[in-house]
Amino acid sequence: MVPQFTLQAPLKLPPHAVTDHLKQLWEQPEEGYNGSATFTLVVWEPAWLEQHLARLGLLQDAVMGMQRPCLVDAARRAIGAYGLPSATAPLSSTLAQVLATQPGGNSSYDDLRGQAVDNSISELQPHRMITLAPTINGDQPLDALVAAYCSLPGDSPGGSVCGDVLVLRGGAASIATELDMLPPLIPSQLPCWVLWEGALGEHTDIFERLAAPPRRLIVDTALGDTGPSLRILARRIAAGQAVSDLNWYRLGGWRESLAMAFDAQDRRAALGHVAQVDIDVEGDQLCQGLLLAAWIASRLQWSLQTGHRQQDSSVYHFQRTDGVMVDLRLASVPVGFPKPHAGSILGLRLLCKPPGSREFCVVLCGEASGCMRLEGGDISSRDLVEEIVPLIQGSLEAQETRVLAGGHDTTNPLLATTAQLAHQMLTAMDASKT
Amino acid sequence: MAKEGQIDGSNVFMAATLTNPLRVGLRQERVIPPQCLIIFGASGDLTHRKLIPAMFALFLQRRLSSEFAVLGCARRPWSDEVFRQTMAERLQPTIATHPHAWEQFSQGLFYEPVDLQQPEHLVRLAQRLEQVDRQRATRGERTFYLSVSPAFYGSGARALAGAGLLADRQRSRLVIEKPFGTDYASAQQLNRVVKSCGQENQLFRIDHYLGKETVQNIMVLRFANSIFEPLWNRNHISSVQITAAETVGVEQRASYYEQSGALKDMVQNHLTQMLALTAMEPPGRFEPESIRNEKAKVLQAAHLAHPEQPWTCCVRGQYGSGGTAKNPLASYRHEPGVAPDSTTETYVAIKLFIDNWRWQGVPFYLRTGKHLAKRLSEVALTFRDAPVRLFDAAAGGVSANQFVIRIQPNEGAMFRFEVKAPGSGMRSRPISMNFSYDESFGEPSDEGYVRLLADAMLGDPTLFTRSDEVEAAWRLYTPILEGLKQSPERFPVHPYEAGTWGPAESDELLARDGLLWRRP
Repeated sequence: MVPQFTLQAPLKLPPHAVTDHLKQLWEQPEEGYNGSATFTLVVWEPAWLEQHLARLGLLQDAVMGMQRPCLVDAARRAIGAYGLPSATAPLSSTLAQVLATQPGGNSSYDDLRGQAVDNSISELQPHRMITLAPTINGDQPLDALVAAYCSLPGDSPGGSVCGDVLVLRGGAASIATELDMLPPLIPSQLPCWVLWEGALGEHTDIFERLAAPPRRLIVDTALGDTGPSLRILARRIAAGQAVSDLNWYRLGGWRESLAMAFDAQDRRAALGHVAQVDIDVEGDQLCQGLLLAAWIASRLQWSLQTGHRQQDSSVYHFQRTDGVMVDLRLASVPVGFPKPHAGSILGLRLLCKPPGSREFCVVLCGEASGCMRLEGGDISSRDLVEEIVPLIQGSLEAQETRVLAGGHDTTNPLLATTAQLAHQMLTAMDASKT
Repeated sequence: MAKEGQIDGSNVFMAATLTNPLRVGLRQERVIPPQCLIIFGASGDLTHRKLIPAMFALFLQRRLSSEFAVLGCARRPWSDEVFRQTMAERLQPTIATHPHAWEQFSQGLFYEPVDLQQPEHLVRLAQRLEQVDRQRATRGERTFYLSVSPAFYGSGARALAGAGLLADRQRSRLVIEKPFGTDYASAQQLNRVVKSCGQENQLFRIDHYLGKETVQNIMVLRFANSIFEPLWNRNHISSVQITAAETVGVEQRASYYEQSGALKDMVQNHLTQMLALTAMEPPGRFEPESIRNEKAKVLQAAHLAHPEQPWTCCVRGQYGSGGTAKNPLASYRHEPGVAPDSTTETYVAIKLFIDNWRWQGVPFYLRTGKHLAKRLSEVALTFRDAPVRLFDAAAGGVSANQFVIRIQPNEGAMFRFEVKAPGSGMRSRPISMNFSYDESFGEPSDEGYVRLLADAMLGDPTLFTRSDEVEAAWRLYTPILEGLKQSPERFPVHPYEAGTWGPAESDELLARDGLLWRRP
């Protein structure tokens, strides 16, 4: 991640003056500079954890709204300092909520949210980037910061291509009050992405107004609680909106590794005889686990029958196309050194029982976690394929860039089908509790 | 929500007995940024046979951004609607299974009547491109595809450059179909022209063989495994055979083929690219220029076995009639559009050497032909015999170890080596160890144009030939081409029966070295 700052210092304006200022900016551009005609990116960037860490003096750096290693390190230190269980994921909402209750800590810090852009995103030459940066002080009045922004000059004779950045910073209530200023700033002829970097389920009024179709939505279901995250994801997709989930991208290595285990033609038939699936996840944020389970079930055309809790596991019963039942268990496992995001997959075991031949078992283990628990249960008596799933490399910004670079106005069908089933699994579990 | 014809859905699962259902839609491939593909010659065959199907395949795979456009250009006075309708009619079998997806896709198809020789048409084209950019938000990313007669490559490039359409060196690209030149001099001249129109990184000279998964796999096999490279040299390999055999005849291409023949149609480009990938040194990095440097270097080191007497290392053939009573095959000279006294070769076999430390003294045999016994493309490396023969062979003679990379069909690789034949004695017999793409991977490979079109739009030139590669490839065969002009009697076309493995003279070319062509 290489952040690139705006080349000119942002101009602080009263919110009502922003529209005219931006209009003037592009009516008379300097010679050799062209306004880019690419896309608009609107970012809801609460960075609650980062702000609290900075307020408490645990982060000796400006607040930037980026998932930097120093942020994860500071979060891990805070987990120890405030006595949270070591299994707490550093970037989970739990930590931010605990820090919010801590008094004092009036360290001053620079708030550069929206003013530093990841290089890979700036290379895409966004037409306009609008960052909504709610402050932890809910009463803070709104500041509007505006700057022209140009990608570093290349060797193109066409001159530099420029866009602009707008940051609206203040209490969430004041941001909500000024939201109506945004539609005229978002050209209807260009695609617009809304990147929701907060938990799904927080500030729903702002979310609903900001993320209205046909705007394309990028969310991260790892950031909030399981229920609201999956419900909102499924609802938006069902309504036909183009939605990308960064948590789904993090599952890429698991999906690829499991598919690879069945690429060989002599193993493919075993997929019709899956009898049991076990998935272990870190902690109790189940979005990734449910998405992985739902992806397997939907690809193999299983239909969901029931779901219930059993100790620390969620147990689901699916019916295969041949009528045979499949047990799928999703277990929450506490770990000593969790990955930054809550609910990361630890391991997966898939057991096939083809009639008339030996049982076939696939065990996938996370690169950094191992999966001793899944290796139990007499797997030595079965044909075994065991693979290590590499951690997905690349920053969150790189994943965002991938979405922005090759934009689609519909949701990836795999995610669409998976999210609907994951939501059904959640509903089935809720129903079993009542 | 999964839409009809897209990746998900039970229609895809129905194919699950053949493909891996977990594999569907999983490709971790680069997504092409918003883009406008401009096809010159849009009313021609290539557009509806390859280019639009390739774009539609990319659309179905979601590798094409929603912000894409295809602007067809040709002299016919079509409208957008006529172009869409024409493409829909010609792609009917494909569309029938994805009607909804086609409906969406075809909204991105546009047409502009353009004659590249008319400056005012270029002005109009530039305006239309601006309009399409705005309409489809394609961000000014443009890939121009010259699918026109090779005679217009140079003037077409000049016309585009003259209109300023190649001025943006980052966002405009030019794809040029084969053949690139008709000999060394014309290739040099064409290179001079196109390089005056744009930078090398904007130029994509296409060779659709390089789009084949198995051709690319030659590099992966060689450079991702430590077991092959130590053996991949003159110390262990005694000869290399590169074959591209077709079972079809000249079909509807007589007018083109009469001018080109097998040497220009297949050897100078496709077989030479396979040669380069097989023989090149490992690149320092997997990046376009490193790879293309190595390919150019090895081609510069290659030469005909006898450049001063090229007729001794080149056999030309022409198919006569053949087939069966039920399925007779006409001779080349009786094909429609072929001169009755044509001396165009439909078969050619050539012996080459490469003068470098790795390959000194190892013969490379290239052959290609039409109406041969089998459709097949492969690279076969034959290893040297074991230094001491300890065991009798069950079949009488020990066969040399061979490593065969099958380009098509039945894509994969085969390694042949000796094992002990069952029984009380110690006799050896050869067995084959096979790798098949179909059996090992849960999904079919893309058609070559899908990969190459995607790479061009991504601005990745790895699988495209650079100017020096093209020139080196032409220079390699210049002694034959000049010999054909100066003393054609030294290069007779030997007749062969259609449906066989080519003329007997070709077998003699290898027999002189104590070798045989593979007849797989």
